[in-house]
Amino acid sequence: MGVEILTLPVRTSLAPGLCTLVDPDLIYLHLISDVAIGLAYFSIPAALLIFARRRRDLAYPWVVLLFAAFIIACGTTHLMHAWTMFRPDYETEGLVKVVTAAISVTTAILLWPLLPRLLALPSPQALAREVEERRIAEARALASEARTAAFIEHLPEALFVLRPGPRGDFTAEAVNPAFERLYGIEDASIRGHDMAEVLPPALLARLLPHWRQAMETRRPVDYTTEAETGIGWRVWQTILVPMVGPDGQVERLLGSARDITMTRRLQADLLQSARLATIGTMCAGLAHETSQPLNAAMLWTRNARAVADGMEPAESADRLRQSLGIIEGQLRRAGDLVGRIRALPGEDEGTPQPFDAAATAASALRLAMGQYAGEGIDFALHSQASTLPVQGVPARLEQALLQLLANARDAVLDRREREPDAPMQIVLTLREEPGEAVLEVEDSGPGVPEGLRDAIFDPFFTTREPGRGSGLGLPLAAAVARGMGGGIEARNRPEGGALFSMRLALAPMASLPAGGAVTNQ
Amino acid sequence: MTWRILVAEDEGLAAMALEDELLRAGYEVVLAPDGQAALEAADRTPPDLLLTDLRMPRLDGSGLIRALRAARPGLPVVVMTGYAPAGGASAFGRDGEGPVALFPKPLDMDAVLAELRKLLPGP
Repeated sequence: MGVEILTLPVRTSLAPGLCTLVDPDLIYLHLISDVAIGLAYFSIPAALLIFARRRRDLAYPWVVLLFAAFIIACGTTHLMHAWTMFRPDYETEGLVKVVTAAISVTTAILLWPLLPRLLALPSPQALAREVEERRIAEARALASEARTAAFIEHLPEALFVLRPGPRGDFTAEAVNPAFERLYGIEDASIRGHDMAEVLPPALLARLLPHWRQAMETRRPVDYTTEAETGIGWRVWQTILVPMVGPDGQVERLLGSARDITMTRRLQADLLQSARLATIGTMCAGLAHETSQPLNAAMLWTRNARAVADGMEPAESADRLRQSLGIIEGQLRRAGDLVGRIRALPGEDEGTPQPFDAAATAASALRLAMGQYAGEGIDFALHSQASTLPVQGVPARLEQALLQLLANARDAVLDRREREPDAPMQIVLTLREEPGEAVLEVEDSGPGVPEGLRDAIFDPFFTTREPGRGSGLGLPLAAAVARGMGGGIEARNRPEGGALFSMRLALAPMASLPAGGAVTNQ
Repeated sequence: MTWRILVAEDEGLAAMALEDELLRAGYEVVLAPDGQAALEAADRTPPDLLLTDLRMPRLDGSGLIRALRAARPGLPVVVMTGYAPAGGASAFGRDGEGPVALFPKPLDMDAVLAELRKLLPGP
C-alpha cells in the first residue's frame, strides 16, 4: 500500500473524517503537517531515552519514560490522522486516540503531585553553590589539619600513640619529633614496633603497669618516670589517655610526656640548698662557739706544759707532760673537726679563678690511683671533653673529686668484702653539656639506697660505722659544686653501682690562662 | 727594744693564756677586752702589732683594724677567729682593712709565734 498523491480522494468521494477539507491545498497542508509532527514526535522520545540512559542519576526516570510514551502516542495519533486521508481505518485511529488519551491523562494526573517534589530538587546553580561551599569547608578542614600537624610537629611535649595488642603487648603507632628528641629514639625505629623491642626490659617493666591501668580503668593515667635514655638521664611526666572504641574496648592509648629533668634538678638543688643553708648556719655557729673554749683550753695546756718544764721531780714532770700531750692531742682533734665544719661553706680557701676542670679531674684521679694502688681497683678516665673551663678554686674541686673517688673506693671494697667476685671498677667521666661541665664518678659498689639519696648530702650523715667517715665528704663536694654554679646528684646505675654527677657552670674558654697550666694552687 | 703587741680578745681566759705565751716569747703585751678598749689603749701606748679577735662587743675586729690603719697604714695585723669570714684572709682587703695574717681558732700557737717573728724581726 503506497500513498498515491495522484489518487487523492476527489471532492465527490470525501473521506468522512475530512469532510471539511474540500480544497486540495488544504489537504496537503494537513497531510504534510501531520506527517512532520508525527516524525518529530517520534524523534523526541529517542532523545529523551538517550538522555535517560546516559544520566543514570535522574531523580524520577519513570517520568521521562512516561513523557516518551506520551509523545510517541501523540505522534502516532498524528500519523494515524494522515493515514486515514488515504484509507478509512477510523476504528484503528480511534483506538490509537484512546491509548493516547489514556497515556495523556495518566501523565497529566501524575505530573501535578510530582510538581512540588520536582521543584524541591536543587537547581544546577544551587548545586554549584553547594559544591563551592563544600570546597571551602574542605579547604578549611585541610588548613586546620595542617595547623594541627604543625602544632604536633613543634610541640615541646613528646606525643605517642600506642595500640594495645591481643597478648597484652603494645605497638607504637606514631610519635612526634619531640618524642624523638626526649628519648633519643628515631621515629623509624619505633613506629610499628612492639614496645618490648624498643625499650630496655627494666624500663618497660616500670611502664607496663601504668599502661595496663589505663586499659583497665579506661581513665587517664598520670605517672613520672626516670631512666637512662639514648641521650642521658632523663625524668619525664606522662599523661596517658585511653581512646575507647564503639565496642567499649580501648583501641589506642594517647600519651604526652614532658621532660621535667631540669625542673626536678632545680627542685632538688633548691631543697638541698635550703637544707644546707640551715645546717650551714648551724655548723658555722657551732664551729665558732666551740672554737672559743677549745682555743682557751689549748692555750692553757701549753701554759701548763711550760710550767711542767721546770718541775721536780722529773718523773712527775714527765707524767704531767705526757698527760698534757694527750689532752693537747685530743683538743687538736676537736680543733680539726671544727676546721672541717668551718670549711663546709667553702669560701675561705683561695680566690676563685678560671681553670680547666678536665685537668684538675685528671690530676685528682692520678692522686686517687696512687693512694689506692695495690687494692686491685680498676680506675678509668672517660674524657669526652679535652678542656672544661670553669670558675672556682682548683684545690677545692680537687678536694671534692678526691672525696667522691674515696667514697667510690669504699663502696667498691664494701661490696667486694661481701661478694668476692664483685667487679672493682671506678670510672671518672668528663663531658660538656650546654652551659655545663659534667664530671661523673661511677663505681661498681652496692649503690645508694633509694631512700637515702638526698640525705647523703647532709653534713654528719654517714652509713659507715662510728669512727669511719665523718659525714662531711659529700656535703663538701655538694658545697663545692654549688659554689661553682652547679650542683651534685646521686643515682644508681641500671647495671648496679652508684653514679655521682657533678655539674659546674662553664666559663668562657677565653678566660682560661694561656697554656692551661693552672690546675692547682 | 721590746716589741709591743696589742691583744684584743674578749675571751678573758684565752687572753690571759695568750699574754703568758707572748710574754714568754719576749714581747710586751697590752690586753684589751674589746675593740673600743683596744682603740683607747692604742691611743695611750701605740703598739707595734695588733693581734685581734674578730667578733667582739662594742667595736669588732674589722672596725678596729680600719681605725688603727687609718692612722698607721703599715701597722702589722694578725687576726685570730673562730668564725672565718667568706673569702678568708683576702676578704680583709675589701673594706680598707688592708693585708692581715689570719689564724683560725683553736690557735696553732707555734704558727702564730712564727708569724709574729716574721712580722716583728728580732732586734
